[in-house]
Amino acid sequence: MRQPPPSRPPLASTRRTFLRRSILAATAAVAGPSLLAACGRRAPDSGATGERRLVISNYPIYIDPSEDGVPGSVERFSKQTGIAVTYREDLNDAQTFFAKVQPDLAAGRPIAQDLVVVPYWLAERLIRLGWVEALPLEQVPNARNLMPSLRNPSWDPQQRHSLPWQSGIAGIAYNLEVTGRELKGVDDLFASDLRGKVGFLTEMRDTLGLLMLADGQDISRPTWDTAQASFDRMQKARESGQIRAFTGNDYQDDLLAGNFAACIAWSGDVAQLVLEQPKLRFLVPETGGVLWADVMVMPRGARNRQAVAEWLNWVYDPENAARIAASVQYISPVQGVQEILAADPATKALATNPQMFPDAAMQQRLRVFGPLSSEEEARFDERFARISQA
Amino acid sequence: MSASPASVRPERRRPMGPGGRRRWLPWALLAPGLLLLLLLYVLPLGALIPLSLSEQLDRFSLRTVFTGRIQTYGEVIALYGPVLGRSLRFAAASTGLGLLIAYPLAWTIAFRGGRWKAALLGLVVLPFFTSYLVRAIAWTTLLADRGPVLALLHGLGLIAPLQHLGVLVDGRLLNTPAAVIGGLTYNSLPFLVLPLVVAMERIDPLLLDAAADLYASPLRRFLRVEWPLSQPGLVSGVLLSLIPAAGDVVNPRFLGGPNERMIAGAIENLLLVQRQAPQASALTLLLMLLISVTAALLLRGRKLQELPLP
Repeated sequence: MRQPPPSRPPLASTRRTFLRRSILAATAAVAGPSLLAACGRRAPDSGATGERRLVISNYPIYIDPSEDGVPGSVERFSKQTGIAVTYREDLNDAQTFFAKVQPDLAAGRPIAQDLVVVPYWLAERLIRLGWVEALPLEQVPNARNLMPSLRNPSWDPQQRHSLPWQSGIAGIAYNLEVTGRELKGVDDLFASDLRGKVGFLTEMRDTLGLLMLADGQDISRPTWDTAQASFDRMQKARESGQIRAFTGNDYQDDLLAGNFAACIAWSGDVAQLVLEQPKLRFLVPETGGVLWADVMVMPRGARNRQAVAEWLNWVYDPENAARIAASVQYISPVQGVQEILAADPATKALATNPQMFPDAAMQQRLRVFGPLSSEEEARFDERFARISQA
Repeated sequence: MSASPASVRPERRRPMGPGGRRRWLPWALLAPGLLLLLLLYVLPLGALIPLSLSEQLDRFSLRTVFTGRIQTYGEVIALYGPVLGRSLRFAAASTGLGLLIAYPLAWTIAFRGGRWKAALLGLVVLPFFTSYLVRAIAWTTLLADRGPVLALLHGLGLIAPLQHLGVLVDGRLLNTPAAVIGGLTYNSLPFLVLPLVVAMERIDPLLLDAAADLYASPLRRFLRVEWPLSQPGLVSGVLLSLIPAAGDVVNPRFLGGPNERMIAGAIENLLLVQRQAPQASALTLLLMLLISVTAALLLRGRKLQELPLP
């Protein structure tokens, strides 16, 4: 089931990567939860005497791979700690992943993974359901390197159950070749000259959040009432043919191909895509951008707590975090990464990239989409699905 | 998915009459297939009936309580009726379009193929050696706004007339109804061509000679002999094309936009995103019912041995 990570140059991405990504996403979308059910559950470790192990699930292409004889992070961690890591890139879609692990977790059975990277809102759901355990943070001294702005988030106020993997910004990407003009903000997505060339994300919080910010709403405390105007605007745009598609990760292909003049997009992706298509731009609207985080959580019943602690401590070491950041180009949650990147001529340019290291002015604009109760989330999901799916 | 039972060779050939000693034999040969159908189709479908009449205790548990709530059906018809209607329309349109292409193609292969028949049939099936998913993604590249197909149409000056006909929307081909129907047509073509070729090959050439002897023009010969005798192939082709098209996931997802969604995507979203298992079950059963009724209508009054199913 596990595939070797794709080799790719550290600062460039290839078409192959995108194709692979969209095929993976498509496969997951089509096959649904059954796709990965084949990955059977492991027998528990034979106590402390046996080989030490760690099983991690993450999104594809979200860590530096081993290539050209240079070992990637997973390999280096294994060498340094003697822990055998099974690193699966089997997360494509958080909703599908949830559907897959739900039967076991709901019944109180452990799943194969010791650690899973999920979007913060899913972490919040898992925490609320009691399906994740408190992380062994007392054994993670490097956790103090966590950026202050990411500490004690609304989805985990005590900072006990989750630790960020990477964060990023949902903003607007556009292709100057197609738009023929610079864009300023969310209103441009509804401009008549871009009709049928605008992409929205299926990730509800990013799409709705950006529109709500443009409406002057406080997205840190979203309510059904404050969201209606934005939902209505979205629905009108969909019905009139303004929106060409609601996509997941595959928006990148449409952006590169020129099918999208503009779309809601994620910062790290655009930072990489611009190397391939210099006419691409990414903007965080004046009205605000949506800051999100993918976080590491430990599913209930995880067998290798000690290995989890060592992994967390290792990836929160600034040196190690800098390597990962240079490869994936998202916002690293670890303090000290910027200085390390600035010190190396090869990565110097990244250290001044505002999408990787938001400055004070940028930070002022960023907001996190707040938690929704289960009932609210159901209503939001249903309305969003009717706009994007039906 | 077909199970091929091991062939059983009787030692002595005897006609099997009623009361014959080997009346169990056909059942034995049918058993693997029937068992498979029962286990993988009938039972799961049956299990959906109580689920569609249940209510979920809460959104994130899998436990449901049977309450006999029939209103769920009304709700999904109200919410997803238009999507269901669109799915059937797209499926019908792609099958109709497919027939327009497949009929002359099959006729040529069957009656004019000569020694190239096998090669021509191979060509029809050739695209199916690549994955269904990869083909849909490849179409997104071909139909892209700056892709080769639009460039060709532009060069031929066809953009304005096609826009007028509604094939192009806002000057684009990708993420339009036309692209989805085209993708569905492309997928169903072999399923239409193969049964038609088989049906046409069964036509006795003597009948065609007789028609010619009786001064029938080629057109008349086609209308009075070839067309009626190829009907069984038409029926099985339509069945094999219409049913998968109505439940297709991939084409609307990659070639359509939010106004071209089809029912399978809606069911998937209900189950995995909105987590409404009863609604998803009700919608699935409605789709199955519609498809079964359609198939029954198509097969009405036909003997199965007439159908040249490949």
